[in-house]
Amino acid sequence: MDSYSNDNTARRYRAHVSTWGTTQLHLRNPYVMAWWSAAFPGFGHLLLSKYIRGFMLFAWEVIVNMNAHVNTAMIYSFQGEIQQAKEVLDTRWLLIYIPVYLFAIWDTYRTTVDMNKVYILADMEDHRINTFSMGAFEVNYLDKRSPFMAALWSFLMPGLGQLYIHRIFTAFFIVVWGVTFFYFSQALEAISLLFLGETSKATSVIKPDWLLMLPSLYGFAIFDAYINTVENNKLYKKEQRRYLLKTYQSPSFIIKKGTKMS
Amino acid sequence: MKRVQLFSTFENHSYLEIAISNLEKQGIPREKIYAVPLDKRAETKKLFDTLHSSDGISLIDIGLPLATAFSVITASIGFELAWGPIYWGLIGAGAGFVLGVIIRLIIFWQTEKGQKRVRRKQADLILIVECEASISEKVEKILWEHFAMGLAKVESGT
Repeated sequence: MDSYSNDNTARRYRAHVSTWGTTQLHLRNPYVMAWWSAAFPGFGHLLLSKYIRGFMLFAWEVIVNMNAHVNTAMIYSFQGEIQQAKEVLDTRWLLIYIPVYLFAIWDTYRTTVDMNKVYILADMEDHRINTFSMGAFEVNYLDKRSPFMAALWSFLMPGLGQLYIHRIFTAFFIVVWGVTFFYFSQALEAISLLFLGETSKATSVIKPDWLLMLPSLYGFAIFDAYINTVENNKLYKKEQRRYLLKTYQSPSFIIKKGTKMS
Repeated sequence: MKRVQLFSTFENHSYLEIAISNLEKQGIPREKIYAVPLDKRAETKKLFDTLHSSDGISLIDIGLPLATAFSVITASIGFELAWGPIYWGLIGAGAGFVLGVIIRLIIFWQTEKGQKRVRRKQADLILIVECEASISEKVEKILWEHFAMGLAKVESGT
């Protein structure tokens, strides 16, 4: 049940409000988007609201990276142990890692440039959009929320910031992978040990290749929650201005000159 | 009968629409409510996006990518250091974030140099409501209660 049904009269729409979340085009920096795809293939596409290929690339990265031991090799390389890095890499998997990794970065960059152009056209067309959607399972509507709170919740647990701003798919995705990474990295056990002051025991309990997944997931969860709150707020403002101009500018209204009452 | 026009400024917020709905419920017709959304000064870029205003220029757009990158590197090296990967990962994340924020601040000061910045919260629109003098008190109360930023009543003859 929507407040407005798209009648397909627009050539392009700026945004789509559904019970699953608010999807919108907005200006993005292609380099920043490409960077997120470099941090973790899939993140760039998720930020562009291209969820299916984002999920695919992400799952692909986890499977191939883990089997080729790319993360382990990265750890050795950062430590300067180049010989060990060479030995740990599994050549049965390694070579297919490279093209897909580069594709994710390249495709994010070019898609961002393209979608920025589409946004400029959609923004100038300024067609009416649906702003309220209610269904049996969810309610979604445009409104203003705090970018700081969105970032804070995703900082406390990745995915909560996305729930706060009604990005159901991304929230589900981040929570599932977050739990997976926490479990397999044994990071939470290590943190408990750190609280007890047993630092060396904490280090030994960690599974390094899984631990290396967590910084990217945290960074992405905070970034995604923050920028999307900002963009949702901008969309809200634009839509309200549009509504006010259309509804409350009667030609018969006359501004009268008088005296200000104290 | 004396008529009054109430000039007020608002932010774009759902309270504004609640206020207008209330006014219409009081019997003020749509034609007697006039809204003028304001365009903003172009140079009022702000670093902190808040609930009330955001322009997409933010402190974190460089900070978080750097935090992620630094954290991966320092956590890796941390396996060989006394404090271990978690402490070093957090140190790397913090350092990367701070560095990113500093870079963003430098860019901000460079581009904004010499420009006067408007720091205060600004109004998003002007709302003018015309009504009979007898209910102007009530209208004024509704506007204030729904967070009008400023308000003036102007009395005219007819």
